[in-house]
Amino acid sequence: MINRASKFALCLLALPALVVPILCLAYLLMRGLPGLDSSFFGLSTLGQSRDTTSLSNQHGIFPQIMGSVLLSALACSIAMPLALGLSLHNQLYAGRRSQSLMVHVLTTFQSIPPLVYGLCGLVVFVHLLQWGISLAAGAIVLAMIVLPVLTLNTIHALERIPTALTDSARSLGMSAGQIIWHVWRPKAWRSLLTGLFLAIARTLSETAPILFTATVFSGVIWPDSLLSPVTSLQTHIFYLAQEAVDERILAHAWSSALILVTLVVMFSVIAHFLNRHSSDNE
Amino acid sequence: MNKPYTNMQLATAHVTDKTTDQPKLKTYDKARVEVNNLNLKRGGRLILNKLNLTLADNGITSIIGPSGAGKSSLLRCINGLDKDWKGEISVDGIASKHWPKGADALRQHIGLIGQKPTVFPCSITDNVVFGLRGKQRKQASSGLIEYCLKQAALWDEVCDRLDHNAQTLSLGQQQRLCIARALAVKPAVLLLDEPTASLDPRSKNKIEASLHGLGENMPVVVVTHDLEQVRRLGGNALFMCDGMLIEQAESTTLLDTPQRLETREFFQWSTCDCPPEDE
Amino acid sequence: MWLRGWIMLSVLTSIALIVLFVGFLTHASLPFFSKYGVSPIIGQEWYPYENLYGFLPALVGSAWAIAIALIIALPCGLAAAIVSVEILPLRYQSTVNLGIDILAGIPSVVYGLLGIALLLPWLENNLDLLTGHSLLAAGLLLSVMILPTITRLSQDAFRDIDNNYREAANNLGLNWSQQLVAVLLPQAWPSIRSASLLATGRGLGETIAVMLVVGSIDRIPDPWYNLLTPAQTITSRIGREMGEASVGSDQWSALMACGLVLTLCVAVLSIIAQTPHKRAAHD
Repeated sequence: MINRASKFALCLLALPALVVPILCLAYLLMRGLPGLDSSFFGLSTLGQSRDTTSLSNQHGIFPQIMGSVLLSALACSIAMPLALGLSLHNQLYAGRRSQSLMVHVLTTFQSIPPLVYGLCGLVVFVHLLQWGISLAAGAIVLAMIVLPVLTLNTIHALERIPTALTDSARSLGMSAGQIIWHVWRPKAWRSLLTGLFLAIARTLSETAPILFTATVFSGVIWPDSLLSPVTSLQTHIFYLAQEAVDERILAHAWSSALILVTLVVMFSVIAHFLNRHSSDNE
Repeated sequence: MNKPYTNMQLATAHVTDKTTDQPKLKTYDKARVEVNNLNLKRGGRLILNKLNLTLADNGITSIIGPSGAGKSSLLRCINGLDKDWKGEISVDGIASKHWPKGADALRQHIGLIGQKPTVFPCSITDNVVFGLRGKQRKQASSGLIEYCLKQAALWDEVCDRLDHNAQTLSLGQQQRLCIARALAVKPAVLLLDEPTASLDPRSKNKIEASLHGLGENMPVVVVTHDLEQVRRLGGNALFMCDGMLIEQAESTTLLDTPQRLETREFFQWSTCDCPPEDE
Repeated sequence: MWLRGWIMLSVLTSIALIVLFVGFLTHASLPFFSKYGVSPIIGQEWYPYENLYGFLPALVGSAWAIAIALIIALPCGLAAAIVSVEILPLRYQSTVNLGIDILAGIPSVVYGLLGIALLLPWLENNLDLLTGHSLLAAGLLLSVMILPTITRLSQDAFRDIDNNYREAANNLGLNWSQQLVAVLLPQAWPSIRSASLLATGRGLGETIAVMLVVGSIDRIPDPWYNLLTPAQTITSRIGREMGEASVGSDQWSALMACGLVLTLCVAVLSIIAQTPHKRAAHD
């Protein structure tokens, strides 16, 4: 009886955690789907779309999507090699003390708010190095944000490989490079890929740090160089949300949000299933 | 208080080196592995304490001693898996710290087989040639694979399913596969850390037979807890305790007429009370 | 050789990034502290035009927002963890995890949008407010945002409990609720503690969503428990004013000082969260 009651109460308490995501997604679909018409994507003829709303031009939402993807891809391609190098250093060369120091430092930096990294980027890259509001500044700031997460994930993935396996490979006289390629890579690639996809999802959803460092509201279709500003989905939604009184603008914001969430959820779902398979294999 | 005792042990170790005091010890022309004054410290504790040891050109050497005597550490130091030791280890007359082509090449030269059989998640053939890389691997013939598996007394059981996943083998078979794998890189010395612990008697016999064959051509060192196995393996035997080499003799001699008090104690009680070293 | 080079390069780059980050934080906020001292941290007024830079309203706002979020998210997340690990059959667990992963993946700007379009009108209508922009709205939104963190980490805490404990408790004849209170919760407690500390850190640093719903008015709630008025948090202040502040001005370095204070708070939380793990590893 008491068991029943306590279990029931717990389920009731837990309900929000399980129901809220479904409600959020459902509401997002409800508001966002109607706006996904041809003018949103800039597929209608040039004259018409100019007439209907000042928000959409002949390119529709594509510059924003491209900007987000570009930022995310650049950030991850900066962070991933660094994360791999750091975790290999941790596994191959670091002593026990510096190993744990490294993990603590990374965990602490992981918890520092993205906004502060954004401030750092604003001071150092935008003003000190005179890059201006640029793709490069935003990408490096995002890379700094995901670097601790990626590195910790990689370290954990490498730590899960049994030491007996590594030891027997070493006692066969295999070099560090050979062990990494022939013993560690087959064991860890799934977890590494999981981490990478989570990092992509993370970089796609961070808004505050790139607000001052990389993006402008409009006027950019495709960045000319690394040092020119971009537009991105997440900041686009932010600017639109601030104008929330106008129903038409709000509808545009919902549709953009739907696109963004689709992108992000896609990557985190892939990561989820990769991760599940890797834990099945253990 | 402990000083005289310590000195005496040191003295014995040196005497065994010269093989003057122990007439029954087999002697060989050429030393393969020489260990001089080997020290290893872990977390403030001495794991290996001023150890001296000479392995000759061929023959089996069994190492016995209580757990924590530093037997496995000794093997890991000789193989180069552990690097933070002090002292001198020379292989074929060359100091192992200055091995010509680096530590990896040294480990290729000295095969080490761990206590728990560890096979890689690939086929039996791939496991045998796992240590061979690049050109060597391409040149690896089926003859080499057959030779290694035969040497490890595994060929008859797996010759019809060489492409099967190695993880489907029984533990005893996996351990013999590990021996074959170590042989494929053509080591000059073979070290085995309790190769038959937790294996069934049949696999034990097969591994012992394989070791007898291998011992004819190269020095083979076997760490073991099984005193009967020491007798079966023949060759020389060492007794280690608390990181020190206590006694060294031909294996039957050591088992039947141990000279040192600690050795006798160990045979009787399976423990040994070496006084802790004051450092 | 290239491997060594690559590893060295990445280690050096990371060290350079850390140095750069710490250097920037101190260098950019130093002018403020050298000019105004540390007393502004408890100052009550923030008027950049009159050179008044009191941090207290934003600090109080941040504290209130995170307190509301924790009060809601902690019991919910904990309950969800218990339900999904201890009650639900194994095959549903992965579905629940997927849901939590999705919830964790929703970008904060989308939460901000949900807050503006759903939460604010709802608050205005139900509580009869002039504006829904309030600490309560920020806290509610934050609670949804830190829920996945708490749930995820508490789930891990319950999963890591050795099954022998459950069996031993069963053998003693404890019923389910007694097991939960006497065996499972104490075992999982250190991890739950650090999970909530981590979630607190994340909530404190959350910017965009909070900025959209909190109202951004630098006032300490009056009376102190009045959560229905617009207020300000540290992050929303930085987010709002960073675009306006001119480079190198007092306001600029005051905002950097806000960033420094925020970083210190969160870093301390994170370090506290890491310590018990260390102790457990030694035992």
